[in-house]
Amino acid sequence: MTDPVIHLHDLHKIYVVSERESGILAALQSLLHRETENVPAVDGISFDLNAGEVVGFLGPNGAGKTTTLKMLSGLLHPTAGDGTVLGYVPWKREKEFLRRITLVMGQRNQLVWDIPALDSFELNRAIYRIPAPDYQRMLSELTDLLELGPLLRKPVRNLSLGERMKCEIAAALLHRPQVVFLDEPTIGLDVTMQRRIRTFLSEYNRRYGATILLTSHYMADVEALCRRVIVIHHGRLLFDGDLSDLVQRFTAHKTIVVRLADCQTDLHSYGDVVSCDEGSFTLRVPKAQTAHVTERLLADLPVIDLLVEDPPIEEVIERVFEQGAP
Amino acid sequence: MNYLRLVWAFFRIGVMSEAAYRINFFIQLFQSLLELAMSLAGLAVIFSYTNSLGGWSPDEVLALVGVYFLIGGIIGLVIQPGMEQLIEDVREGTLDFTLTKPEDAQLLVSLRQVDIWRLVDIVMGFGVLAAALLRLGAHVGTSQAAAFGIMLLAGAVIIYSFWLILATLSFWFVRVENILEIFQSMYEAGRWPISLYPGWLRFALTFIVPVAFAVTVPTEALTGRLSGTTLLGAVALSVVLLAVSRLIWLRGLRQYSGASA
Repeated sequence: MTDPVIHLHDLHKIYVVSERESGILAALQSLLHRETENVPAVDGISFDLNAGEVVGFLGPNGAGKTTTLKMLSGLLHPTAGDGTVLGYVPWKREKEFLRRITLVMGQRNQLVWDIPALDSFELNRAIYRIPAPDYQRMLSELTDLLELGPLLRKPVRNLSLGERMKCEIAAALLHRPQVVFLDEPTIGLDVTMQRRIRTFLSEYNRRYGATILLTSHYMADVEALCRRVIVIHHGRLLFDGDLSDLVQRFTAHKTIVVRLADCQTDLHSYGDVVSCDEGSFTLRVPKAQTAHVTERLLADLPVIDLLVEDPPIEEVIERVFEQGAP
Repeated sequence: MNYLRLVWAFFRIGVMSEAAYRINFFIQLFQSLLELAMSLAGLAVIFSYTNSLGGWSPDEVLALVGVYFLIGGIIGLVIQPGMEQLIEDVREGTLDFTLTKPEDAQLLVSLRQVDIWRLVDIVMGFGVLAAALLRLGAHVGTSQAAAFGIMLLAGAVIIYSFWLILATLSFWFVRVENILEIFQSMYEAGRWPISLYPGWLRFALTFIVPVAFAVTVPTEALTGRLSGTTLLGAVALSVVLLAVSRLIWLRGLRQYSGASA
């Protein structure tokens, strides 16, 4: 077993935030004397990522995801705890380290607004000192995978949000980083574009064996890309493991879809009837009783078809956040 | 070599970004010409009453105006745009992209914004300077030219360090644009020989806001008024300020990343 690519141990980040009452008097007072408050954003997080893993980093807004990503990419210094990425301590911001990682933030742009993306790429080439042949090869691969061909020569300001995001991602990967941090890479994009970016990320991971840690509010991203998820809430780790285990652990119910001839039958004695559409009932039953209820349904009624499902992942995640620690 | 390539890359971006807004070239040209005309008219009026201003002859003051435009052009070309961008980036959080690059962040921050139209001021400054030297009939010897070059460089370094320190304050106090405004108005005072001002102001313009070193001192080098002491002093000040600004910058970065908290 090789060393993990990312190793975090008991990482803490406390923000010191100045606070003041509203109103002009308080504003003037704060010029002289500032009340500060300590806000723990990350409160003791540990995890390891192995080479080539694609891991979804989940949590509600303000859970500490972005703060953790910023520490991992060297932007923030932790208040306590230690960690390494590729063997480097990220917040020392060594050039060799920075050359091997990248950070993509869906809500912020690094491309220069008034010029074509290709020229911004050239700038990154100069900054990362990418040798010309490597640059050409990577550029043509990225152009292929992301279908950038017609976009590269237009000024960035003329691109749509999705087109711009594709260019942002390409710009961030030109130096072929081994570790990729993505903060909401698909935010605000339409479904087709989200899918395109997802496909691309998994292809990048496959081709270069890169380790990817991504946050997203779209569970479809996570389901499609990540076998493993890490869930944090209030700066603490709630869950770290396979996505399927998360579903197992946090769902108390299963969904049974039963097809009968019509919607006339009363199924209340079997479980909560969520809906019925042209004879197709959706029932919610406690997980432990699933087998029993299924048996009874099949024995009692003229069942045409029957399907047992886990609830949708969004619902599971919502439950995780509501419950807090398991 | 790599740094030159980086400078070139940023300059190229500056040219390309601005090429989309060619009208700005004409606006800048008009603005610079207007400012120059006002300066010259002011000189003409003043020298219709006197032949010497704080011990400077009309043509020497003309040379000073040339240097004023030259340094002003350098500030406007790269120093001011970069520092204004830095302040904005700290506020918007876009500095993160700069900090994840495998290159010295101070270097990137200082070079990455170029307002190419301010080259107009630099060209104009050289023009005025050349005219003044012709009128002075002074033949500039190699040692004078060298002293001028060194003083120009030292002046630019001093002004750069000063701007960097001011802009770096944004790591602690988010809004610092106003301080930059103050600098800009103080710089205006540099278009006259520093010896013209009363003692306390002369002191302020030399040591607090080092405009004197940026404009008056290089001109003195060219017109042969400069003493060796001032030359050494200016060089020493530029080195010290550069080092101090670097230290403050590093402290600022620590503040930004929460390392000092």
